[in-house]
Amino acid sequence: MPALEVIGLQKEFGGVTALAGVDISIETGKIAGIVGPNGSGKTTLFNVVAGVYKPTGGRVLWHGKDITGKPTYEINRRGLARTFQQAMSFSGLSVRENVQISYEHGRSHSATSQRKINWSSPDEILSFVGLDRVANELAGSMPFGNLRLLGLALALSTNPSLLLLDEPAAGLSENESEVLTNLILRLAEMEIGVCLIDHDMFFMGALCERLIVLNFGTKIAEGPPSIVLNDPSVVEVYLGIEK
Amino acid sequence: MILAFLIAFPLLNLGYRFLSLAITTGVTAIALYGLGIQFGQAGIMSVGHAAFVGIGAYTAAIVAGMFGIGFWLAIPLSIVMSALCAGMVGLPSLRVGGQHYIIITFCFCALLQIILTNGGTFTGAATGLDVGSIDHLFGINFDQLRNIYYLVTLVLIICLVTTYLIINSPYGRTLRAIRENEMLARAIGINIGLHKIGVFMVSGAFAGMAGILQAYYLRHISPILYGPFPSLYLALMIMLGGSRLIYGPLIGAVIVSFLPEIMRLDPIDSRIAYGIGLLIVVLLLPGGVSAGLLDIYRRLRPRSLK
Ligand SMILES: Nc1ncnc2c1ncn2[C@@H]1O[C@H](COP(=O)(O)OP(=O)(O)O)[C@@H](O)[C@H]1O
Ligand SMILES: [Mg+2]
Repeated sequence: MPALEVIGLQKEFGGVTALAGVDISIETGKIAGIVGPNGSGKTTLFNVVAGVYKPTGGRVLWHGKDITGKPTYEINRRGLARTFQQAMSFSGLSVRENVQISYEHGRSHSATSQRKINWSSPDEILSFVGLDRVANELAGSMPFGNLRLLGLALALSTNPSLLLLDEPAAGLSENESEVLTNLILRLAEMEIGVCLIDHDMFFMGALCERLIVLNFGTKIAEGPPSIVLNDPSVVEVYLGIEK
Repeated sequence: MILAFLIAFPLLNLGYRFLSLAITTGVTAIALYGLGIQFGQAGIMSVGHAAFVGIGAYTAAIVAGMFGIGFWLAIPLSIVMSALCAGMVGLPSLRVGGQHYIIITFCFCALLQIILTNGGTFTGAATGLDVGSIDHLFGINFDQLRNIYYLVTLVLIICLVTTYLIINSPYGRTLRAIRENEMLARAIGINIGLHKIGVFMVSGAFAGMAGILQAYYLRHISPILYGPFPSLYLALMIMLGGSRLIYGPLIGAVIVSFLPEIMRLDPIDSRIAYGIGLLIVVLLLPGGVSAGLLDIYRRLRPRSLK
């Protein structure tokens, strides 16, 4: 049974159809990627799964249980964590306090048996993502690349079994991007599932075992990168109409 | 040092007027510590805080009048009653955000004043209710102003310590997370609604304690003490003193209560002075006077700290 299963998911904002009936299933311990042009509904998919929005139709199953429309905090407590495209933080607090808050909640809300990593302290998480040197800085004063890593640290501290990362590599330098790639690979080794969004087909092709392509709120392709990247409909979306 | 000063204060023999002013300041500061947690930590302002002081005061007066329950036994009743009412008034905050919620607190405060004024003999209408004196405890006679002062000071210190513990606990950190970013707080598993109602109740509990102390100190309470105007004063004090640091509420209460007395301003002049003072603080010291003082202190002693 897949960890996360999305069935016929629909979401409309006023007249705009952001998701037009999407079916996706994701397993833990693997790296899955969601690609698609701007406005194709990738972020909305994460928001609906994470409980930020209620879907207009369809269901979200987590280990077979229906979690559609449950509050965000409860979905997180069940082991499904996410990061934000805008790289959010508790900007007025120090980096360590940011992670400490998340760590304390992760500790009190997840059963020990459910934890993939048993973090012993907030500092351990900071070292894991490589932010230990800036622990005392104000989160809001950090450069963008570090904010992305902090976002990842916050999600990781809650002891998830599946991480949804919304464009974690956007705006990163080549070096930072490599650091991130290594982190994601390590997570997969620890049996933590990762599902990430990005535009960059080459980056995603190298990192993910499976790609899902969205366009106008519909899934147009799915499978291993080698097949998906050569799919004519995907090529059409990314490179324009080829005749 | 501050503790020693608080204890020695009555011994300075500054006279009846200063001692009663100190008591009023202490009571106000107790209420402000509640608002300090709500606004400073959770980031939710209220301009109706005096209403919960009033609920504490009226609860004490009513249970004394109807059931003969004295000061000591009424303390938990006042605290619980204020906390419950504050939690209920907080319910709309789950649906409306920041500025809108401030207006709701203001409306509740105005509404309470109307209810108290029209409550017939139950609330004593516009003239209010008389309150007895505090029963002797361990042979201490609370008819003496100095002993009331010590009682208020003791409660104030308890509130200060409680606030300190809250600020440095996981609970305090959770409130700050909500203040900084609600969406992110939800995403890491924090139940925002529960904590918002919770912090209103904590804030209301402090106000309730201040209310019963005030009722037994003044020996007479009336609706005008708990209307929108006193509430605005509390908001003013917390902004002047600073809400995030531990001494902020105390400093705010002291400034607003003592400055007009020391500078001998009449009520109209003092209001103008508050207005100017608030402008200066908002423009120059966004963290309030307490944060400003801390900043100056750090700048003056950079070497000795290293
Ligand atoms: N909160 C919202 N209110 C209204 N429309 C929205 C909202 N969020 C997303 N949309 C719309 O839904 C569509 C999909 O957006 P989004 O999921 O952010 O795309 P992507 O992340 O793939 O770039 C867009 O047309 C966008 O304008
Ligand atoms: Mg997006």
